[in-house]
Amino acid sequence: MNLRPVFGASLIITSLIASLASAQDMTGLEIMERVEENQRATSDSAFNRMQLSTCRFGIKDSRITCAERPRIKSLESVGKNFGDDGKDTKSVTIVLEPAAERGVGMLSYAYDDTQRDNETWLYLSALGRVKRIASGNSDDDSEPASVFGSEFTTEDTDTGKLEEYEIRVLEETTEGDREVWKIELIPNAERARKSRYSKTINYVDKERFIVLRVEMFDQYDNEIKRLLASRVELVNGTWMARSLTMMNLVSNRLSNMAFLEIHTDIAVEDEFLTTRTLTDVAFRETELEKLRQQVD
Amino acid sequence: MPRLPRTGLVLALLSSAATAQGQDEPLVLDPDVSFDPSVDFGFDDDIFAGAFDEEEQSATEAWFEDFTIRISQSTSGQINNHSIDLGAFGKFPKQADLETNRLQFNVRYQNPIAPGWLIQGSMWYRVYWNQDYEYTTNQDSIDTEGQLNDLFIQRSSGAHSFKLGRQTVVWGETAGNSVLDIINNSEFRDFTIIDIEDARLSQAMLVWDFFGTDNSSSLSTFVNLYPEFNPAPVRGSPLFFDPGFNLPDYSRDGKILLEAGTQWKKSFEGSDIAVMAAYLYENQLRYDPPLPGSADARPDINDFLLLGFSANRAIGKLLLNFDLAFSHNILADSFAFPGTSSLSTPVNLRKDQIGTSFGFEYAIDNEQNVSLGIQAQTLLDAEEGLQPGQTLTNDGVFGSWLVRYSNAMRNGDLTLSATLQGDLAAESLLVFLGVDYTLDDNWSLSSQIISISAKSGSFLTVFDEDIRLGTTLTYSF
Repeated sequence: MNLRPVFGASLIITSLIASLASAQDMTGLEIMERVEENQRATSDSAFNRMQLSTCRFGIKDSRITCAERPRIKSLESVGKNFGDDGKDTKSVTIVLEPAAERGVGMLSYAYDDTQRDNETWLYLSALGRVKRIASGNSDDDSEPASVFGSEFTTEDTDTGKLEEYEIRVLEETTEGDREVWKIELIPNAERARKSRYSKTINYVDKERFIVLRVEMFDQYDNEIKRLLASRVELVNGTWMARSLTMMNLVSNRLSNMAFLEIHTDIAVEDEFLTTRTLTDVAFRETELEKLRQQVD
Repeated sequence: MPRLPRTGLVLALLSSAATAQGQDEPLVLDPDVSFDPSVDFGFDDDIFAGAFDEEEQSATEAWFEDFTIRISQSTSGQINNHSIDLGAFGKFPKQADLETNRLQFNVRYQNPIAPGWLIQGSMWYRVYWNQDYEYTTNQDSIDTEGQLNDLFIQRSSGAHSFKLGRQTVVWGETAGNSVLDIINNSEFRDFTIIDIEDARLSQAMLVWDFFGTDNSSSLSTFVNLYPEFNPAPVRGSPLFFDPGFNLPDYSRDGKILLEAGTQWKKSFEGSDIAVMAAYLYENQLRYDPPLPGSADARPDINDFLLLGFSANRAIGKLLLNFDLAFSHNILADSFAFPGTSSLSTPVNLRKDQIGTSFGFEYAIDNEQNVSLGIQAQTLLDAEEGLQPGQTLTNDGVFGSWLVRYSNAMRNGDLTLSATLQGDLAAESLLVFLGVDYTLDDNWSLSSQIISISAKSGSFLTVFDEDIRLGTTLTYSF
């Protein structure tokens, strides 16, 4: 079971262009298709700077707080959609901080087709070469891989394959001060075999078509993870959650993905989304500078 | 001493610890739970709003961002009082002893000085404290040492990239144990470094990379302008054995040595392949005994041709690796075991050798990984040219194996790892158990235990029953 409203590929952006049409009579599937359609639009040709913070959390008086000083990673990410209907995504993410991990890079190809395994390459300076990694993905029987050691996993970044779910609107309610649909996604037998989630419940903003909260359940119907979106802003005409927090309710640890800079519809050369970017630092920095000039 | 069961027990404990962690009952969250706005980085409902504070993002001076500095204090020693059996030479007692006690500064510099240009360098500088073997060798006084690793300039333009300076070239797919990972020389001084990834030394090279327009293939060619050889173990180090004469570096005497090679690499969906060819000198020098009246052994260099092929295949959580090497005109009795210097036998035949390394890496789950690599080599027409009664140092199939396991817990802040290394003849076994704990973005602490078992007469005989304990505290910024 994937968590398509959470974020798209490594760009991890939940968003939607505000709909002017009436949405009162939409089915759960139609709502989720709209969410996904716009999600893909925002993940195409994108250049982001992100901060990934992770900590053990505690709850006091119904308030979530970090029980320790968070570990922080600064990341720079570039992504682009490919394939038929632009449903495949290639992305490269580079660690800027902390110093001990500076220069670590990850290249990911995520395929919409369930018959194709996603691919990931990693560059570690100590290793001295680009290395394909065996991380598995949500398209087979494997455990989803963590995104840079955080509570976000590759399963959470998956997109597509809505037909593999039973989707229904449970109720119309509010989340914070926003009116939302409460939508349940239950994977079919084949998808359930590939997922760590037996179902998810998504709270979709009725006006902005953005997911504000997701509850993820295991096979025993225990909620094991929860995602909360905040800092919802209109960026380049698209509603986006600039802060996503994934809480692991089993390990009591959480990760926050903060999008410090979001730039979409920029020109990204196909050549940049190859293993060359991981090893050829002169090339990478030159291309990144071109991207920066586009957004300045 | 039953070392293997002990290792198995530790591995089992590591696994059960991970399992226990995964079996915790999930926390039941109140539906209306929200973020605490009163914490330091509080902002409305978002406890990580501090991330959006632009002032904090520019705290580091721009010029300093090109540097990565790591300062570490490490201490290690052999802790098992025992005796070693050297066969006909008798038994020798070996007492527990502190071997290393040192402060090390690592500086890495990487600066894209202009569009398409990059300068990169790295070096280390060490201070050897009381009881470090370098301190002892230095007549019981504090000693220091520095070494330059990388230092190169890179120019990338279009589909081409050129790098000139000290750098490394890594071939092969099998992690830590590839028959093709032989371009750069390496240095094993003591047991604080046992992985080839950490022991590799940079050399002065010109590297030209050409990237194909299909965005999935590349051609990489190198010329090693000054081939270097594995340094002999430092006098006084745990790996140093006094042969009764000096083991000098190779004297070029004005002779120009060059190495060159090229590799074509292609990525397919789920797989990468590469073919390569090179003219190389063996990294490990061999020594002929000193001439009468001389205290120096005579180092020999061995040039040979290498043809290679490597491939990997990803199948879900499983990554299969395969390397194949054909060495032409290699010295038959040569070998390069880490940390040892080989003395030549009377046999000086040049032969062809075929070798392979293969293995897998398997992601058990999100936190645990295990890998296996096996390296096997054999000389072709091994008996040809031998005189009656002569045998080769490496007879039949010889090689080694390597197993690595890691368990990254607490989002990678706590990593447990285990490495087992041995030779195919089952004459020696090295067991490494390590714990790495990251305290925060700057501080980290690591500890390791290394145990060695070796049969009498094997390369590691003198380390049989050694148990080493070490710890390192590191500050990075």
